[in-house]
Amino acid sequence: MRLERRDGERIDRSRAVSFTFAGWRITGFEGDTIATAAFAAGKRVFSRSFKYHRPRGLLCCSGHCPNCQMTVDGVPNVRVCTEPIREGAVVEGQNVRWSLDFDFMSLTDKIGGPFTPVGFYYRTFIRPRAAWPLYEKFLRSAAGLGALDPHAGHTRRYDTEHRRARVLVVGGGAAGRAAALEAAQAGPGVVLVDEDPRNRDLALPGVEVLAPARALGIWEGGLVPVDADTVLYRFRAERIVVATGATEQPLVFPGNDLVGVMLPDGVRRLIGDYSIRPGERAVVLGSDDETLAIADELMDVGVEVEKVVDLRDVRPRELSAQGGKGRVRRLVLNGERYGCDLLVASGGRQPAYSLLAQAGARVEFDDSLGVFVPTELPDGVEAVGSVTGAGLPRIAPEPAYEGKGKCFVCVCEDVTTKDMKRAIGEGFDSIELAKRYTTTTMGPCQGKLCHLSSIRVYAEETRMFESAIGTTTARPPWAPVELGLLAGRELTPTRRGSIHWRHQEAGATIQWAGPWKRPYAYGEHPEDEVRAVHESLGVIDVSTLGKLLVEGREAVQLLERLYPSRFGDMKPGRIRYGVLTSDGGRIMDDGTIARLADDLFYVTTTSTGADAVTAWFQWWNAVWAYDAEIVNVTGALAAVNLAGPRAREALGRLVEDPDDVSAEDFKYLDAHELVVAGVPTLALRIGFVGELGYELHFPSPAGEHLWDALVGEGARPFGLEPQRVLRLEKGHVIVGQDTDSESNLYSAGMSWLPKLDKDDFVGKFALEHFVQREEKEQLVGFTMEEDVVPAEGAQIVVDGMPVGRVTSARHSEAVGQVIGLAWVPGERSEPGTRVEIQVDRLRRGARITDGAFFDPSGARMRS
Amino acid sequence: MSFLLACPFCGPRPVDEYAYFGEVTKRPSGSPTLRELTEYVYFRDNLAGVQREWWQHRAGCGEWFLADRDTRTNEVLEVMLPESRKTS
Amino acid sequence: MNFLSPSRCASGTLASPLARSLGRVGWSSYLGEPEQVRDLSLEGVVEVRGNASAVSPGAGEELVTLSPRRAFLFTGGDPAEVVARVRGQGALAYDATGALAGIAIANERVLRRLTDLDLDSIPTAGPFARVSAVFRRGTDGWFHVYVQQELGHYVAEAVLDALAGLEQTTWR
Ligand code: FES
Ligand SMILES: [Zn+2]
Repeated sequence: MRLERRDGERIDRSRAVSFTFAGWRITGFEGDTIATAAFAAGKRVFSRSFKYHRPRGLLCCSGHCPNCQMTVDGVPNVRVCTEPIREGAVVEGQNVRWSLDFDFMSLTDKIGGPFTPVGFYYRTFIRPRAAWPLYEKFLRSAAGLGALDPHAGHTRRYDTEHRRARVLVVGGGAAGRAAALEAAQAGPGVVLVDEDPRNRDLALPGVEVLAPARALGIWEGGLVPVDADTVLYRFRAERIVVATGATEQPLVFPGNDLVGVMLPDGVRRLIGDYSIRPGERAVVLGSDDETLAIADELMDVGVEVEKVVDLRDVRPRELSAQGGKGRVRRLVLNGERYGCDLLVASGGRQPAYSLLAQAGARVEFDDSLGVFVPTELPDGVEAVGSVTGAGLPRIAPEPAYEGKGKCFVCVCEDVTTKDMKRAIGEGFDSIELAKRYTTTTMGPCQGKLCHLSSIRVYAEETRMFESAIGTTTARPPWAPVELGLLAGRELTPTRRGSIHWRHQEAGATIQWAGPWKRPYAYGEHPEDEVRAVHESLGVIDVSTLGKLLVEGREAVQLLERLYPSRFGDMKPGRIRYGVLTSDGGRIMDDGTIARLADDLFYVTTTSTGADAVTAWFQWWNAVWAYDAEIVNVTGALAAVNLAGPRAREALGRLVEDPDDVSAEDFKYLDAHELVVAGVPTLALRIGFVGELGYELHFPSPAGEHLWDALVGEGARPFGLEPQRVLRLEKGHVIVGQDTDSESNLYSAGMSWLPKLDKDDFVGKFALEHFVQREEKEQLVGFTMEEDVVPAEGAQIVVDGMPVGRVTSARHSEAVGQVIGLAWVPGERSEPGTRVEIQVDRLRRGARITDGAFFDPSGARMRS
Repeated sequence: MSFLLACPFCGPRPVDEYAYFGEVTKRPSGSPTLRELTEYVYFRDNLAGVQREWWQHRAGCGEWFLADRDTRTNEVLEVMLPESRKTS
Repeated sequence: MNFLSPSRCASGTLASPLARSLGRVGWSSYLGEPEQVRDLSLEGVVEVRGNASAVSPGAGEELVTLSPRRAFLFTGGDPAEVVARVRGQGALAYDATGALAGIAIANERVLRRLTDLDLDSIPTAGPFARVSAVFRRGTDGWFHVYVQQELGHYVAEAVLDALAGLEQTTWR
């Protein structure tokens, strides 16, 4: 019922706003919340309770309790008492079968049965076991609050913003404002955060006000994430002032959850902010002056006040609210009945200390106030105002009053005093256990309205002192937060080489390769790309290779200690293959090492290894301190591998003098600086794909230009898949694919590589032990007897027992067979040994080989 | 875990800017026995208390350094450069 | 090491890693301001190693020192020549022009949406859009952010997305 225009009201009566509320069309005013508009239109039931499906109405009207949670435009669990009204919004009830006013599930309240007792879900749905699927189906739909539309996709955009503050004040009440203003005198950088939408336009000189917004927690280093609806502000604050005030506590008495039982602050909001007459006949119940004073305020707006009960004076034997259809009709006090449709009741106020406790403060019981107060605040965190307990009246004399009906300690989870007592009777004799068993304080209010009461009830029942019981752990977030807000924008660092777009334009299938996006193949037929490399000319973008420069007086010493190989005997302009091992002797990464000058080396790594290898080199050099610098130039350089019988001829046309690339002047494993199509290039003659080839490394901004030039010379682009086939034909190992964290140089067939006569290198100790032992497994090649391709990871079977696994397998046109690499037991590694490989459900025959399937002498790549 | 760690060059930064490389170990010299080698490669003291450990400021200057950190509280008592870097 | 120097490439051979992202759309819409982002990728950068304190920047150059052994020298001149000059001064130097994608950003709030760095600590290195970056202030007050070139496109998209997000934030 809307009152005449009043001073200070927050509604704009000239602007009507309409929306639907549980199917009803409702019109309120700009400035209303959804709940106040609905209340003014006569709506009283806003939700159904969690367990018993009891009708619930506005209780706190401050965004703290569970009672007004509804689904607004598909977003569940919105507290409509603080949610601004929006034209056309669709507001629906939750936890309801049928309608808010008649809920089928409310039978659980009336007939009781398996739902009523505390902990029912821990023991009720156990037998018969066969019935579990049925139980589960029922429980799934009964559990939880609200429902998400799984097909709705992203409905809102959430952003994250990182901020700094000299002083961050949480809470915009009198104490918070005063603290903010005082801090602002010392200079800028003061921010005040308040959850109350009514403070949206609050202006404090020198203070930035964020409202409505909620601090979700306080972490080390002054980190305070603040929920501002669609933006999460991550504050780093030098000083944090917590002024979260004290939260009104529901009085615990039978019938205290009936629709029409309200906290005084909520009633004050309805009257003062929204000019709503909150009821016709009221009873006021409390034990402090602030609560009782509401009687006058009610009378001012024409509410008949039937009775005011000061619990400091009266010691009720019996106190309960009674009603019909879930709505309060009367208060019963010591046999007397007082009719009402509004029962304003408060148990007093409890400091809202959660944020402080979560930040690391201790919480202790204040005997004179009967509430918990924070002490021993962490560095950089202060508390001001009633959150410290200052100025609070004493709490209600009794933890709970007796009478007929359900007496709720926790309205979120529908936990009654009876449930608490039963839990204690069953032996849950610590508050942390009782909390988990009854789920008190674990609902949407997170203990704001029930923590104190539950401890008081517990204390009374166990005849212990509250101070000895203590509180349960305060955990973030302090207020409910949408998961989308915590997730923020999707940011997936994605590496693309400078030639990337050419591949896309050429219609390549792009796929993830570690952190990179790379072409898988340029069409449906990777085998055509393989054939082009064998018969004519292909080009592949290998810009993803890790590339390092190692330079300095002691560069060679550093590298010789990092790799099992020797480099000191290399002439500038030569290249050597290298494998990195750990001190445990395991294979870590591989690549090529080119000596460009006496004190300058160019090192390549695998595509995923660049960052890790750089960090590894730098770490070892932080230990050893060789006079050498390690520079990661991976991104500085694009790289392509031009490969095929026509490679020399094609490259010759792009360099100044074709003799620069002649077979005599540019040999296999040579590294030369050339200018290719106007681009200064480091050319490496290596043969990963088994044909005559040049790996060209050059400034990445020239990537597209040089690529175009090579394609213009007739080179056919080939992708990762054809490259895998080509290297497999040569039996070239891919570290991480064919090797794993157990592989070492001996088991992987590279016993020629380590130079154990060197003084020291990473992995030497282990390899010295390995060289003396028999390896249990060996990496070998195999060919299939039939034309079937085993999956990677397929089992090698001998005498019906799995003894090994396939790491790579492909059909090779050039070999005319299916070829692959596999780990097999040492005694099965002889070339020619027959094994079986599990392919789908069948075992297929295969022969072990030494792995070099194609051009075993290497004549083609050395040509 | 969100504590701040002070890089010797960049100053205090959130810990997620750093790569952690574990407690400082002593690499054996000469020809360690299999037992000595295994201890060095796989065994860690795993102290509940202050330990010296390797960190790299990966999102910042990129340098490696040492920190004395209390593993119970994440309090960092001191950060320092490795011997090799102090002298050069 | 000419193969590190874009400036040694024939003319007409170079393209910026940000060409596809920043070139695609006109960036005049945001809050009616003329321009919000600019591509710095082909401007000269030299990575200094070893004795960074030996290096003295020339006119129009800025030295961003990350540690005593590592710095970036931003130059308007030919980076290949600057490399030679710095090496003459007793440090190691590498042309990093091609290594970095650079983006200039006018609006401080775009940075705040992508990094928790204390913006007062710029010039420095730190995280940006979940990758490592080097930050400095341009003479015009804009923020200059440099990342590995292969991440340039991704970072530019993140910046444009942050700009779009700012347009949507209706308050504060
Ligand atoms: S009535 Fe809305 S949260 Fe309590
Ligand atoms: Zn640092």
